[in-house]
Amino acid sequence: MSLIGIIANPASGKDIRRLVAYSSVVDNQEKIRVVRRVLMGLQAASIHHIAYMPDYHGIVERALDGLHADLSAERLQFEVKADQRDSIKAAQLLAQQGAGCIVTLGGDGTNRVVAKGAGQVPILPLSTGTNNVFPYMVEGTVAGLAAGLIGTGKVSREEGTFQSTRLEVVIENKVADIALVDAVVSADVFIGSRAIWKTDKIRQIFLNRSSPANIGFSSIGGMLRSIAPDEPFSMALELGKNGLSVTAPIAPGIIEDVLIENMQLMAAGEEMDITFSPCVVALDGEREVEIKKGQKATIRLSADGPFVVDVSRTMAFAVNKENFFSSSINKRSRLKTN
Amino acid sequence: MDLTNEQLIQMYTTMVKIRTFENRVAELFADGKIPGFVHLYVGEEAVATGVCENLTDKDYITSTHRGHGHLIAKGGDIKKMMAELFGKETGYCKGKGGSMHIADLDLGIMGANGIVGGGPPLASGAALACQYMGNDNVAVCFFGDGASNQGTTHEAMNMAACWKLPVVFINENNMYGISCCTTKSMCVPNIADRAAGYDIPGVVVDGNDAVAVWEAAAEGINRARQGKGPSLIECKTYRHRGHFEGDPCTYRDDAELEEWKEKDPIPRLEQKLLEMELLTQSKIEKIKQELQKDLTAAEQFAEESPYPDISGLLEDVYT
Repeated sequence: MSLIGIIANPASGKDIRRLVAYSSVVDNQEKIRVVRRVLMGLQAASIHHIAYMPDYHGIVERALDGLHADLSAERLQFEVKADQRDSIKAAQLLAQQGAGCIVTLGGDGTNRVVAKGAGQVPILPLSTGTNNVFPYMVEGTVAGLAAGLIGTGKVSREEGTFQSTRLEVVIENKVADIALVDAVVSADVFIGSRAIWKTDKIRQIFLNRSSPANIGFSSIGGMLRSIAPDEPFSMALELGKNGLSVTAPIAPGIIEDVLIENMQLMAAGEEMDITFSPCVVALDGEREVEIKKGQKATIRLSADGPFVVDVSRTMAFAVNKENFFSSSINKRSRLKTN
Repeated sequence: MDLTNEQLIQMYTTMVKIRTFENRVAELFADGKIPGFVHLYVGEEAVATGVCENLTDKDYITSTHRGHGHLIAKGGDIKKMMAELFGKETGYCKGKGGSMHIADLDLGIMGANGIVGGGPPLASGAALACQYMGNDNVAVCFFGDGASNQGTTHEAMNMAACWKLPVVFINENNMYGISCCTTKSMCVPNIADRAAGYDIPGVVVDGNDAVAVWEAAAEGINRARQGKGPSLIECKTYRHRGHFEGDPCTYRDDAELEEWKEKDPIPRLEQKLLEMELLTQSKIEKIKQELQKDLTAAEQFAEESPYPDISGLLEDVYT
């Protein structure tokens, strides 16, 4: 029986960027409603078993409450810590249990930690965070259908997913952490309130995806060159007081000019020095890693990032395979959802 | 703007000062030298310290029943505080108020408050005064997770939002209102989530990280000074001791307490300042010795001070 995992981060969309920028507040009631729609999509795609990350708000439990869905739901068994350890642990357990896909609700930061534990299990990331470059703004119902199609194998992983690259922070020859979108070197010594928004402190930016249509630091690189999520390249920027001035939306509602002194492309496997220390490296928008004075630290582009469901491609393959013609859909759930 | 090295050392010193004071109060209370109730701030020092580092004497704070840390961080005199705890005439309230009523209006301290949810209306009122006077002073309201469920808090936040008052609501979410966990007293996981209902910014911050609190408070306070209105900052923290001294704490388990002790804000900042070479072990010892000397002097002052005379019983009574 195909298993789909759900990791809904109750803490996403709450950080200081509501105060220093104009970020949205994504309340947990909205996450509950999104999960409900995901569940209906999963059921319609013949998924009957899910497992989910427990959280102190009970997002998935509340979504299931009163839904009358033909689904068995398993609460993953571990002690809830109410921090990012929960998402990593849940992803690890789902990978061990052979989940066919993990649907995540969060922002770039949430998906970064899920990717640490998910292994080869494809992620379908739904946007409920602050800077949402990695996750999709897609309707939960469709996400549920796509996750179900991948989970049941009706659309194969080769057809419906791609492997993202990832950035690795290497300190003294050991991988200390990863990023899925950007690693930003800031002249800070404290992790503090985690989010990063002061461009005058930024010295280097590493991007493994970039587009002028992105929000956050990957938009800065995007003004120079776009890098698709599955392209085996990353971009390294040095910021300073001279160079090319680029105007970019660095946070929700915040558009700033930054001066780029140097831009270089990196190939998979390539490594570049972090040239400033002591510093703090922000990963996917949050200050995470402290580099102490004199420590040797680099950023490496790895091709071994998470597998990610491409929703549009998955749905297109399903149509080509006539998955959505009435005889092939689970009729009972169709009647219920109608 | 960044914290200067001097500010970082000052913040560390303030946190240690609060901790030293509170630990001694616990001992004195157990010895029967302090009458009434005391609610100690051990474990939550980073919140008061991080916030008050952004304030001047002209700014106002309102406090709670767990107010010693706020008072010390805002510059309160520990001699007068200790004397008040002892019920002595030289105390802040002439020995008639005790722990939950200490105020120092010259420092903008509008008072600890025995009424849960009593502070927010006072803070909005002080902020209204600042706005009316046309200065750039602000009011900061410290309030707990229990107070967040009181009607007064809603009224104060609503009015502050409607009138764009220069007030910052600092929620100290230590997870328990007396013995009731927030998971049982609230339907949302974050008190900051409620800010959306007032159309004001609401953020969650690590309340055991003094620098994180300072950063968030700096943004909220500057926003208020610039006339942009109130904000709500929720600091997730934990009290190491019971709700009150003598509380057996049967409602929470030891593992939870131990996990939070690992996140103790004082060793966290101490370690960082050692790494930055702003502190050394000998400097730390010196700071602690100085604080201990001041505390001993405060205790002696309290011990030696007289009790208020019975003739003053009906003085300073407001109805």
